[in-house]
Amino acid sequence: MNISFIHSFQSEWLKTKRSLALWIVIIGGFFTPAIVTVARIIQYRTLPSIYAADDFWKLLWQNSWESMALFLLPLGAILTTSLITQIEYRNNTWKQLHTLPLNLTTIFFSKLFLVLVIMLGFFVLFNIGIYLSALIPYWVIGGVPYPKAPIPFQYFLEQDLKYFVDCLPIVAFQYLLSLKYRHFLVPVGTGFILWVGALASLSWKYGYIIPYTYCMFTYLQGGVVNKAVMPTINIHLLACVYFVGITLVSYLLYMTKKERF
Amino acid sequence: MSSLQITNLVHHFSANDMVLDNINLEVPEGSIYGFLGPNGAGKTTTLKLILGLLKKQQGTITLFGKPLEKNHIDILKRVGSLIESPSLYGHLTAHENLNLLQKVYQCPKTNIQEVLDLVGLAHTGKKKAGQFSLGMKQRLSIAIALLHDPSLLILDEPTNGLDPNGMIEIRELLLKLNKEKGITIIISSHLLAEIERLVTHIGIINKGKLMFEGTLGELREKQQQLLSVILETDDNEKATRIIADNDLTPCMEEGRIVLPAISKDTVAKINRQLVANGLEVYEIKAVRNDLEAIFMDFIKN
Repeated sequence: MNISFIHSFQSEWLKTKRSLALWIVIIGGFFTPAIVTVARIIQYRTLPSIYAADDFWKLLWQNSWESMALFLLPLGAILTTSLITQIEYRNNTWKQLHTLPLNLTTIFFSKLFLVLVIMLGFFVLFNIGIYLSALIPYWVIGGVPYPKAPIPFQYFLEQDLKYFVDCLPIVAFQYLLSLKYRHFLVPVGTGFILWVGALASLSWKYGYIIPYTYCMFTYLQGGVVNKAVMPTINIHLLACVYFVGITLVSYLLYMTKKERF
Repeated sequence: MSSLQITNLVHHFSANDMVLDNINLEVPEGSIYGFLGPNGAGKTTTLKLILGLLKKQQGTITLFGKPLEKNHIDILKRVGSLIESPSLYGHLTAHENLNLLQKVYQCPKTNIQEVLDLVGLAHTGKKKAGQFSLGMKQRLSIAIALLHDPSLLILDEPTNGLDPNGMIEIRELLLKLNKEKGITIIISSHLLAEIERLVTHIGIINKGKLMFEGTLGELREKQQQLLSVILETDDNEKATRIIADNDLTPCMEEGRIVLPAISKDTVAKINRQLVANGLEVYEIKAVRNDLEAIFMDFIKN
């Protein structure tokens, strides 16, 4: 990593200020924990027994990840990647970016790195949200004990890592589309169609071919009753392969562009 | 020494669409070079090739004595540009737009305030660039181009869409930059009148070909050469024959006789001859073609 990459990343980071992408990450990260919190406060009578359970944290984790893995994470990755990358098209700034003293590789990877950092931020906020969704009912409702069970940090970290790896192919493909097409609807529309296709192909034995299915499969592999056909291969490894492959194609397409504006 | 030298530059958008046909141009250091041509002449394509926004197909581009391809990054550190419409992040303020570029250029942070003062946008505060008027956007774009103290400024029609007052402001700013900081400026335009009072050198391009290149003085010399004389008499046909006997080639335009540049003595001699032949001479006047007419002449031919 050279110094111009760091400067380029700093510059990219400043562009996200007040951007819709940043708001999506903040709202998306806290959305499910907020729903869980409200639901628990409404059903406050059941809370003492829930909070006393030995598997309190794992159940909370599973509840929180349900909507996240199936909907919010894939859609968040689609929207965040597209919005960040499309900042240049929307503002007609590609030509300015390409007249800066930066080589194309630096521009390509600093933008991609920014998307990954923001996705990481999405996970951090979501984890904080989960923790707060456990604490808030304990703070506001009398008689609710602090959870007895210790927080399974290692399990949470492993799960976070798996989900993060699973969403990488989505990021890579959305990045490719957003770099290639000027119109915002192309990457977002394609991403949405692929997400619907992924949902529909969960019960297909080759559903794992579609790289948008991996977050869903990881959640469903957690013992949730479902009709999905679980892949027998390592989907996390496949996600990494997809990510590297799509990123390479995207890089080649970007480097060989005839016009840079 | 030249800030920019272009040799045999050729560019096609498709096999049958030659946009630049063997362009050769030279921009001396410290000059203000007006790059003139009608819309679609190839000005923007040339400027985009200089900045590396288009892949070069044929020819050489040398900036500050170094070939562009091998010294792309070093060269861009010394170049500021504004190509076509302003390139600004609409959701950010003027200061934020400059701040993110300061990170890349690694120039002193004090430059941000300096260029904002220079273009008169220091008062814009928290107003987003997207809410700026076109004139303010153009000025912010110029501030961006100046942020890192470039040696060469490339401006593609920077006064597009500006009112006359805005045009004068930009012109004065560019003259000041050239005079005080010694910045070489390339400014493209499709209107000669717009940049006539600004430039020291001129290149005229039309249909992808460079029609003229030289100093403003050299263009003015052409203007002198193109001085013509207009005559009107009560019998122009007879007058034309008398004039032709003096080895001159008169032509008729809108009912008047037009002669190429001739000396004052010859004018007096012809007048005497016409009167001696019984003709009534209503009007004799010398017409000086203005620069705009010369420019139009280049374009038409």
